[in-house]
Amino acid sequence: MSAGTEGTDFLYPFIEGDEKDAPSLLDDLATSARNKWVESTALRQRTLEQSEPLIREVAAAMADRFLAGGRLFAFGNGGSATDADGVAQLYTAPPWGTPLPARSLVEDHAVLTALSNDIGFDVVFSRQLIAHGRSGDIAMGFSTSGNSENLLMAFGEARKQGMLTVGLSGYDGGRMAADPAVQHCLVARSQSVHRIQEAQASLVHALWEAVQHALSDAAATVP
Amino acid sequence: MSAVTSPEVPAAGSVELGGVADDLARAALAMARRYSVPGATLWCASGRWPFHAHHVAVEFVHPVIMGKRALAALTVPPGADLVTTLRASVRRGDMVVALAPAGDRAVADAMRRGQAWGVETIWIGAGPRPPAGAADHVVWLDTDDELAASEQFVRLYHMLWELTHVCFEHPGLMKAEPECNDEVCITCSDEGRLAEVVLVEGDEAVVRTAEGQERIDISLVDPPGPGDLVLVHAGFAIQAGEALL
Repeated sequence: MSAGTEGTDFLYPFIEGDEKDAPSLLDDLATSARNKWVESTALRQRTLEQSEPLIREVAAAMADRFLAGGRLFAFGNGGSATDADGVAQLYTAPPWGTPLPARSLVEDHAVLTALSNDIGFDVVFSRQLIAHGRSGDIAMGFSTSGNSENLLMAFGEARKQGMLTVGLSGYDGGRMAADPAVQHCLVARSQSVHRIQEAQASLVHALWEAVQHALSDAAATVP
Repeated sequence: MSAVTSPEVPAAGSVELGGVADDLARAALAMARRYSVPGATLWCASGRWPFHAHHVAVEFVHPVIMGKRALAALTVPPGADLVTTLRASVRRGDMVVALAPAGDRAVADAMRRGQAWGVETIWIGAGPRPPAGAADHVVWLDTDDELAASEQFVRLYHMLWELTHVCFEHPGLMKAEPECNDEVCITCSDEGRLAEVVLVEGDEAVVRTAEGQERIDISLVDPPGPGDLVLVHAGFAIQAGEALL
């Protein structure tokens, strides 16, 4: 921060240690937050509009799986791991609609550490799918880069078993967008990890709502 | 019902952040000031949305932007008793951020005790607001749509992290401002400080306050028990009971 800036402090008026103007900083922070909010709202709108046909297609395929007794397995690393947890909570304990079987593969720390310690972190999701996955199930993986090795391995395993595979990615989609093991890849096109995660949260909700609509449409056709 | 339902674009909630941005800015500056003292830890709690609490913690511990400082942040385990866990865990100078509805009694209780524990409290939520002063910082969205709120929480804590790091670029502002300069000041003149009873010995009690533990006289109030809150003035408990929660 301030270390090593002697002689160039005039370029950075706020770096001085005796800065006292907190109200001015607070104004700057609030303005920055408002701008980022607008940016995030715009990315959300753009992402949902661009993804609408794909969301419809994926939701129909997921609804078919759920109707046939399939279950959803969600996974990701870091903040994306919390997205996987959020998906499991949303599907099993929804604010409205039909509760659906879903499980986050990052929830069991005994399994995560056992696999990481004994084999390696690349297999933490794929090995769980070997244990749990069945052909009618759904694998949903979250990555902001689209390049996480353990996700790509999990998608490969999921396809080997005949699971439906859905990826949520960022930037230009990364390897997940190009990998045939990822049957459907929803991409939040941004260069900011934070904005990508924010748009992915919106994709998750739009997809979940579309699944619920598809399920209620299917229920309406039951004689 | 229609045969094909198109996936609707769900409501975005408020398009503008408005005055919430100012609340967020003040919370970020307060957090940066706390973090400027070595050892400060951010405790993240959400009984309703545990995944959000984990997300806040990982933002601070393992920043997405290379080169940014790793900061101490820990999640209160979902399912753990919030007040019991925080009472045992927090140290003076720490921070607690909770993502919870206004009706979450455990969060309201923990936030109230924050004053006795000497921690900065931040309450993020949506819908009906908690009462004024329920936490040091109430960062509240006005949407009643749970999914819209959940999406916007992600934005709020991302920005909380981003703004906190911006504050570090202003070292001159990292010292907390004196809370008051007036001759009579509630905060400094011991008019009444919130304290949590640690143990009771007859007419005396050892209490925990923002300044540390102290022995006080409790003969003026109904006998409190360990964990109860009391208001302390000049070495005496002058109020105790439910009114303080």
